[in-house]
Amino acid sequence: MKKFLFSMLFSLCSLWAFSQVTFSPATFTAEDEVTITLDVSNTPLAGLNDIYIWIFSNDGVGGGKDGLVNGQWTNSSETAKFTKIATNKFTYKFTGTTIFGQSPAELINFGFLAKTKDGSKQTPDYKPYKFDPLVFSPSQFRIFPAKLDQTDMATVYFHQDLATDQNLQRLFDVKVTITFYDGAGNQFSQKANIVAKKESDKLYSYSFIPEKLITLPAGTTLSKFSYQFSGNLKDANGANVPYSGPVVEVAYLTFN
Amino acid sequence: MKTLKYFSLLACILFAFACKPEKFGPITSEVNVVKQIQGTWGLTKVTQVDQDATTKGFPYKELDITNVYPYKDLTIALSGDASGNPTTFTITNGNSPKIADLTSGTWTADDAMAPTTITLKNGTTTNLLKLGSYAGLSSGKFYLTKNKSINGKVIISYKYEFTKK
Repeated sequence: MKKFLFSMLFSLCSLWAFSQVTFSPATFTAEDEVTITLDVSNTPLAGLNDIYIWIFSNDGVGGGKDGLVNGQWTNSSETAKFTKIATNKFTYKFTGTTIFGQSPAELINFGFLAKTKDGSKQTPDYKPYKFDPLVFSPSQFRIFPAKLDQTDMATVYFHQDLATDQNLQRLFDVKVTITFYDGAGNQFSQKANIVAKKESDKLYSYSFIPEKLITLPAGTTLSKFSYQFSGNLKDANGANVPYSGPVVEVAYLTFN
Repeated sequence: MKTLKYFSLLACILFAFACKPEKFGPITSEVNVVKQIQGTWGLTKVTQVDQDATTKGFPYKELDITNVYPYKDLTIALSGDASGNPTTFTITNGNSPKIADLTSGTWTADDAMAPTTITLKNGTTTNLLKLGSYAGLSSGKFYLTKNKSINGKVIISYKYEFTKK
């Protein structure tokens, strides 16, 4: 029960933290200029006029650095100062490669917090936010196009030749399960075990537009979908054994 | 000698004023493209383009999605008045996925002779479609592109090929 309450509290905190931060553009590479908009309502910085960013790269993945603009914890540099745009609302503009002095290949994600100049007050960490890759990395699961909204055709691929799991390498009768989530992140609809198209000996795919695959009442917003390839394996006696790969999530963007 | 000088000067002035740009006629007769695209067109090919992947030089830039759903059901009728000016349009989707939010209304082009964009309008709803090459018009082909962007950066395009009905 204690664990459950703790995880609920953690989820709510995460949701609250994410609702404070928006990015423009919504997706960006380490070489793109991005503007963070931060709402500090309900944080120790609420009501202040001068707040400073403390930014760091590659949280939890190794090779991380503090932002070159950070200054010292007890004395932030003026280049780290947010621009106030409204009460409790601030923006900060940066380019990943410039602010961290790292190459695009080195930068995977970043996180940040906001603080007073002397570090006496601060927000929680907002992290990790991924940079879009600038170099293509082949992987066993892929989606085309890489960025899309809920009205777009999505094609999910299983490159069996790139599978690292031996069971996935041996999978046959390949099927895919697509699950859609509403704007609040709750499961909205699912289409299970759709037969995947065999594009070649080791490549399977499935293409769909949500409104053609599921019943989608007008005005329904989908936040994301997930896909999971599954199929059968042969056991030692030659009998079929069902096996599923990992679930892969894809967030829907909003085009403007 | 003085007379010769005056004659030379006069000749120079005459030569200078005699020069004027020669007018060349058009190589072919001018074509009113907007008039040419009027009529009923059937959708024959749909290509999805990942413009972000194209920009980054990634593989997997385009995908032919014509046969995933019955896109070939879709027709678009572009009408014009007696002078060839655009008037109304009708899109009949059939079982095809939508290529625009609108199914009827009025349409305009940004230039009659060399249009790059056609605008479909009904009430306050407006859809912009980019015109592709005109080269196929004489052989009954017509190309439109729909772009989807984030903050002005095109992320996905759909290239539609139509054939005259």
